[in-house]
Amino acid sequence: MTTPTSSATEEAASVDPATASTLDGASIAAAPTTLAAERATRRGPADLPFAFPDGSLAETLAAERSEPDWLAADRLAAWKAYESLPVESNRLYTPYVDLRAAELSTVRPYVQTSSTPGGSTGTGTDVAATTAGRIELREDGVVTLELAPDAAAAGVTLETFATALARDPEGLRADLEGAPTLPADKFAQLARGFWSQGVRLVVPDGVHLDRPILVRWAVGNPDRALVSRTLVRLGEGAQASLVEELVASGPQIVCAAGETVPQSCFVGTLEVVLGPSASLAVASIQDLPAQVVAFQYRHATIGAAATLHWALAQLGGRLVRSRVDNRLEGDRASVEQVEIVFGSGEQLFDLTSYTHHIGRDTTGNLLSKGALKDAARSYMKGLITIDRTAVGTDSFLGEFGMNLSRQTRAVAIPSLEIDQPDCRRAAHSSSVGPIDESQLFYLESRGIPADEARKFIVLGFLEPVVARMPLAETQDRLRELLEDKWAAGSAGSAVASGAA
Amino acid sequence: MTATRPIVDNDRSQFDFKDDIVYLQQTKRGLTRDTVEEISAIKNEPDWMLQFRLRAYDHFLTRPMPQWGGDLDHLDFDKIIYYRKPSEREEKSWDDVPEKIKATFEKLGIPEAERKFLAGVGAQYDSEVVYHSVRKELTEIGVVFMGTDQALREYPEIFRRYFGTVVPPEDNKFAALNAAVWSGGSFVYVPKGVEVPLPLQAYFRINGENTGQFERTLIVVDEGAKVHYIEGCTAPIYATDSLHVAVVEVVALPGSKVRYTTIQNWSNDVYNLVTKRAHAYANSTVEWIDANTGSRLTMKYPAIYLRGEGATADIISVAVAGAGQHQDTGAKAVHLAPNTRSRIVSKSVSKDGGRATYRGQLKVAPGATNVVASVRCDALMLDDISRSDTYPYIDIQEDDTSMTHEATVGKVSTDQIFYLMSRGLTENEATNLIVQGFLEVFTKELPMEYAIEFNRLVKLEMEGSLG
Repeated sequence: MTTPTSSATEEAASVDPATASTLDGASIAAAPTTLAAERATRRGPADLPFAFPDGSLAETLAAERSEPDWLAADRLAAWKAYESLPVESNRLYTPYVDLRAAELSTVRPYVQTSSTPGGSTGTGTDVAATTAGRIELREDGVVTLELAPDAAAAGVTLETFATALARDPEGLRADLEGAPTLPADKFAQLARGFWSQGVRLVVPDGVHLDRPILVRWAVGNPDRALVSRTLVRLGEGAQASLVEELVASGPQIVCAAGETVPQSCFVGTLEVVLGPSASLAVASIQDLPAQVVAFQYRHATIGAAATLHWALAQLGGRLVRSRVDNRLEGDRASVEQVEIVFGSGEQLFDLTSYTHHIGRDTTGNLLSKGALKDAARSYMKGLITIDRTAVGTDSFLGEFGMNLSRQTRAVAIPSLEIDQPDCRRAAHSSSVGPIDESQLFYLESRGIPADEARKFIVLGFLEPVVARMPLAETQDRLRELLEDKWAAGSAGSAVASGAA
Repeated sequence: MTATRPIVDNDRSQFDFKDDIVYLQQTKRGLTRDTVEEISAIKNEPDWMLQFRLRAYDHFLTRPMPQWGGDLDHLDFDKIIYYRKPSEREEKSWDDVPEKIKATFEKLGIPEAERKFLAGVGAQYDSEVVYHSVRKELTEIGVVFMGTDQALREYPEIFRRYFGTVVPPEDNKFAALNAAVWSGGSFVYVPKGVEVPLPLQAYFRINGENTGQFERTLIVVDEGAKVHYIEGCTAPIYATDSLHVAVVEVVALPGSKVRYTTIQNWSNDVYNLVTKRAHAYANSTVEWIDANTGSRLTMKYPAIYLRGEGATADIISVAVAGAGQHQDTGAKAVHLAPNTRSRIVSKSVSKDGGRATYRGQLKVAPGATNVVASVRCDALMLDDISRSDTYPYIDIQEDDTSMTHEATVGKVSTDQIFYLMSRGLTENEATNLIVQGFLEVFTKELPMEYAIEFNRLVKLEMEGSLG
């Protein structure tokens, strides 16, 4: 008993604090003192990357927009909540917060934004035949706002918060005041206090929209933040679909050698309220430029027998922190959520989903899939909560990862908190694995080159989510984006894995 | 049999006894630097151990209480007696053990068990090993099995080489507390190539109100050796809270095989906060077989660090949480070397308002290529006032890992109950049978006597009348 001992002691000392930290949040503070001294000038993983949110900015935003007192007060309440909340309020996930990639200290939002588009507005016949309405926004204002005549005639409204404030002040107040759709989350409160753009879509009782509403956010101005809220409310029996696109606001910025493009920041909410038997499908393609840091917060209150489908694709950005809250309040409410991540470079996708079963016989079905190249990371956190009232729940959470290079890191934390055992199903499942060699062999035996075969397998792994996008053209666009991303990185990743 | 009749009625009285023991030496309530120095002085320890204790004590003071797990708010470190010694020296034979203590062990069935099964006994009575017998043949093949304090005196070299290397005092607050005031526990050394033919067992008990129990177990299994260690414990019930903070370190050197089996049945007032960890070197196999039925709060996550190529980890964790209990248990497998494998199976039962939590970690570090890992968590809830949580942490940093994780939570199927009742079983018996079947993955790994005892325990947990 001689050999491994001396190294054992050293290794134990270096390994233990790091691994212990996963189960013991406290040990983050107990990092070795030498390291702590070195890090003193750097930000910690949970330190905020920006400084713009403060009370005076909230007041300025309210004053510039001549907002009523209740709205200004709501912003200030949000600011106070924002100040008091930790970056991660769920202790389960505190070891997996990492905002260090964000460098937003000089970032500021536009205080003045135009809420009427430069181009066409109102109900226009030039809305593409494929959509029921569309709104496009940039950091500095609304670019397009159009609603198809049939949708307008049915009583559907698609408007900015500014328009809503003039047209339907009490309705907007009921929607916003006290933020019933934004719970105690630091970044949700950030949006509530400091939004410069707001979008509100209301589909009245019984109205069925056969074409989707398109909401497009353009982000990427260096040193600029776009803070926004989007509210979607469907009345009883209403049906609609929404396509959300997050894209670059201008051409790609090129810098001289040695210089880096200043980052920009997107903070956005999507707050969904579904009345009884309503049905909504949301598809989102996030393809932001590489220097954008995004904080996304989505919240859905799902009424009796209402149905919500999420199809979320995460491709772009430097650091993306996203949270989805599904509250199944009504009996027989159901939610289906599919999400894909395709990461490359040094991207970090920090994705959390909460499924809260409150009503009877509710259904939750969540599926997340991530493929990671280069040194990309994904943190997939999911929590299913089944209240005592939620008899007959059926809930499933799946988190599946494919690591395509040795520098990647995939974290999955699929959790369950259950107070009512009388469920149809309460389960989660998770796996991480490489590309299946036998699949590769099969494809190669059919004459497909190795790299092409790898592409087929990876894109096939993500396809179940692509196929759920509501518009054929959206599906095609997403497939194109995925192929481009595969092509862009494949040469680089081959070099990287060869070097490793 | 009506549906509203409570299925479970705890009767733990058979484990519920305490003796009036005259403690020969004990420290004052509460923990100070003096307490730590006093413990070390009473034990007449070498200076390095005193320094180790003090270093741990300093860390204990600075380390905040963990906030992520069970409710520790009612734990008062000032009310605990950190050391007491019931008899002057360690006993070599059963006849020398004081009658009072012997009577307690007889209630626990130790002499019975010994005749049939024991390879050696380290019976822990409060804070010191009072009884210890090692079978002659074990000594002959070079196996060391003794109290940890005794090993510090008799095998200082091997002891110091490994002690505190698997679980350093800085690991967590309770590891620091244990390192500062540890007393008792078992030490096992199995020499190269030796296979211990029978399981080594140690019974642990807490006695005395507000007694803290801080045993520290160190098991070193040399290359190619093989051993199975079993610990089981029962404790009397008291009104005020007791504290059990143990550390278990296992070193599995290349090619060795270690199995560590625990049946934990502390009384419902005990805080059971245990750090168990093994280092598995090349081609070794480590197995934690861990069951928790007692205590008020258990926080225990047996861990295996796979440090050598080809090492294998197997963890089976079982928890039963009844009224007033929170079993926050789980497992950790940390893959640090290529071609390593791990399997975690967790089964929990919650009832009568109890809370069962699985909290686990599976980590594949950079460089640990070709890892195969699986985690399976199943929870059974017997009523809707209980709670079940599952918190698995999976962190994969290699591209050729094959990892699967599955978890389900459910209740006892009415179809199964109906079927069994149609065969003449009462509803109680049917539920018992289903719960025992659910936990069988654990019981089938136990030696027969333990399997019988465990099934009896579960039965007792389920309903007093059948015990």
